[in-house]
Amino acid sequence: MRAAKRLKISQHNRTAYLFLLPWLIGFLGLTAGPMLGSLYLSLTKFDLLSPPTWIGLDNYRQIFTEDNTFSGSLWLTFTYVFLSVPLRLIFALLVAMALNKGIRALGIYRTVYYIPSLLGGSVAIAIVWRQIFDGEGAVNKLLGFFGITGPSWISHPDYIVYTIVTLSIWQFGSAMVIFLAGLKQVPGDLYEAAQMDGAGKIGQFFKITLPMLTPVIFFNLIMSMINSFQVFTPAFVIGDGRGGPLDATMFYTLYLYLQGFSYFNMGYAAALAWLMLLIIGGFTAILFLTSKFWVFYGDSKDGR
Amino acid sequence: MKKQMLMVALIMVLTFVTACSGGTSSPGASNGGTNSNEAQGGTTSPPAGSEDAEVELRIMWWGDQKRADITNEVLKLFQEEHPNIRIIGEFSPATGYFDKLNTQLASGTAADVFFLGGNVVDYATKDVLLDLEPYVGNELDLSDMDEAMIEYGTLGGNLVHVSAGANARGIVINERLFEEAGMPLPEDGWNWEDYARISNEIASKLDGVYGSYNFTVEGMDIYLKQNGKQLYDMENNQLGFEEADIVDWFNFWEETAQGGGIVTPELAVSHPQGDTSKSLVVTGQVAMGLIPSNQLAAHQSLTEDKLTMVQVPRGEKGTGVVFESSQGLSGYAKTEHPKEVAMLINFFINDPEAAKILGNDRGVPVTAQNRALLEQETDEVQQIVYDYTSRVSEATKTEPFNVSYNMPGNTEFTTLAEKSVQEIGFGRKSVEQAVTDFYSGTVRIFNSNKQES
Repeated sequence: MRAAKRLKISQHNRTAYLFLLPWLIGFLGLTAGPMLGSLYLSLTKFDLLSPPTWIGLDNYRQIFTEDNTFSGSLWLTFTYVFLSVPLRLIFALLVAMALNKGIRALGIYRTVYYIPSLLGGSVAIAIVWRQIFDGEGAVNKLLGFFGITGPSWISHPDYIVYTIVTLSIWQFGSAMVIFLAGLKQVPGDLYEAAQMDGAGKIGQFFKITLPMLTPVIFFNLIMSMINSFQVFTPAFVIGDGRGGPLDATMFYTLYLYLQGFSYFNMGYAAALAWLMLLIIGGFTAILFLTSKFWVFYGDSKDGR
Repeated sequence: MKKQMLMVALIMVLTFVTACSGGTSSPGASNGGTNSNEAQGGTTSPPAGSEDAEVELRIMWWGDQKRADITNEVLKLFQEEHPNIRIIGEFSPATGYFDKLNTQLASGTAADVFFLGGNVVDYATKDVLLDLEPYVGNELDLSDMDEAMIEYGTLGGNLVHVSAGANARGIVINERLFEEAGMPLPEDGWNWEDYARISNEIASKLDGVYGSYNFTVEGMDIYLKQNGKQLYDMENNQLGFEEADIVDWFNFWEETAQGGGIVTPELAVSHPQGDTSKSLVVTGQVAMGLIPSNQLAAHQSLTEDKLTMVQVPRGEKGTGVVFESSQGLSGYAKTEHPKEVAMLINFFINDPEAAKILGNDRGVPVTAQNRALLEQETDEVQQIVYDYTSRVSEATKTEPFNVSYNMPGNTEFTTLAEKSVQEIGFGRKSVEQAVTDFYSGTVRIFNSNKQES
């Protein structure tokens, strides 16, 4: 009986692996292979065009001891992630809750709000953003209407990062759609019961909606964080593509790109890439480790 | 119905797979893969030398739409003369061009012919450029080209670069602003003190107008040459200046900026001098800037204000400006059709029809014959350019200067230099501190990029 079951399972597995095969080939050939290649390159001096020469951990040593731009770009990227991820999620949740009120033509709204997510990463939108936040752009015209002289958002090193953060917030669509699905899963009787007991709207939100949504928040948080760490296009297009002005758009990935493809330091860039992988991996691990304290899976027997 | 769809999908997948494997068995038949109008996959490349076989060449350049239009016109002309050669042109704006080129070179998919500027050194030392020497006198006729230009393209003993035009940098002047301010136009022979004074004066007389762009970076080599130094000493493979040689240059700009004559750093970021379509000289908000002479026409075509050019203010040893190659063509070392590459380059520089179409967009033609041809049918703007460049040529007879190659690691160096200027402009660092950091950074970049010889 047991053996038969095991056989059945292994047959099952075989079919599953067969179906997984295309992905596995892709993963090994297109992801794992190049990754190992880059690990090797990160231990070499490689100028893109001549063969790499082995220098051991020298790239890493240089990154940590001599490279001010590295720490600057890391700091900027952290700033960006810690600003944009929470703001985007809060915004997405607010819109999702507004849409969850049972309004008519929900499909249209959902689509309309989702579109920025599809477009947000594109070069075209980044160019539009440039125009809107330009010194004589729409935002400053609007501010001028109220008698405020706005700064030149995209050309002053102090402000440009916020321009890019707003662009990231504006791409709230995909998080919103997932929140919306999550909100629909919250059983209505919980709210009814709370109402009976005299809980206010705010109380309901913090005591019911938020805890019930934690798995969805967890998912969105991880996806947003990983995405935000890898921000490139807005920095490249809204900034000058060289990290300027004053390294204010020198995000980590942009720095990596410049080192690799503009400065002929591909080995160095590969080392940077591996550090980025470790950083993102580290943050994801922290989120997973802490998740058991704050993520509530309603379907498990004992509340965890 | 569903079954049929599945069949169609399967067939498509199968054809795709076979097409791919077909591609690998004849490498080079389809290089790049980014072009929609590529040769049919699977055709094997013709043996070199057979005249009637179809040859496909890719050429890549940077520039604006106007340059793309005229370049494509010339390519069409070339194809009409050589029906067996098909040319695919690719272009991109100057920003991003070299990143794209580097990526393609790294993956072995670069165009057969591509344009390079003063950064040709960076590529010549990496053995990716085709040696054109064997074709000189046959496919490639350089007999009418200036000797200095041929020398310019000869690096490490090989001819790897053929100049496509010559220019000289100079000060562009918006004449209308000077008229409005009631000030006389500057003239050749002025010095940097004059430059600062005029910049500040015009800015104080006209509202919302600045005297000059800050060209600390673009003019650095010129300034150094005016004082007997240079950025990059190619002969000795070392930096051509020391920290002390450059401090005054940074100070000059900071002091003039204090006087209100220089474009603010914010405006310079959003309206860079190098981007013709955004240039404040064109929009009439800045009276002066430093541009290469071949860019004057592009500037003038965007504005009603009359523009002109005068020589760069003089330093101790003269103007420091040379009439030199602005950019040129190089072949890819791994090209399968080196002979055709030489033919195409030859067409670009020698063909009179091509010269007429190209005009001075990339600089004054490099062959005497085409120069004479263009001088016959010149307009007002071109006349200014010819006047200007001949004045520069004349001046270098008595005050010669080295031509300017970019130093190895030029992109990284330029980024660093611009950042240093901004650090001063936005008040993050004192001039002394910024220059110290700039110089140590320059030494680091130079050492990590220079070729051991």
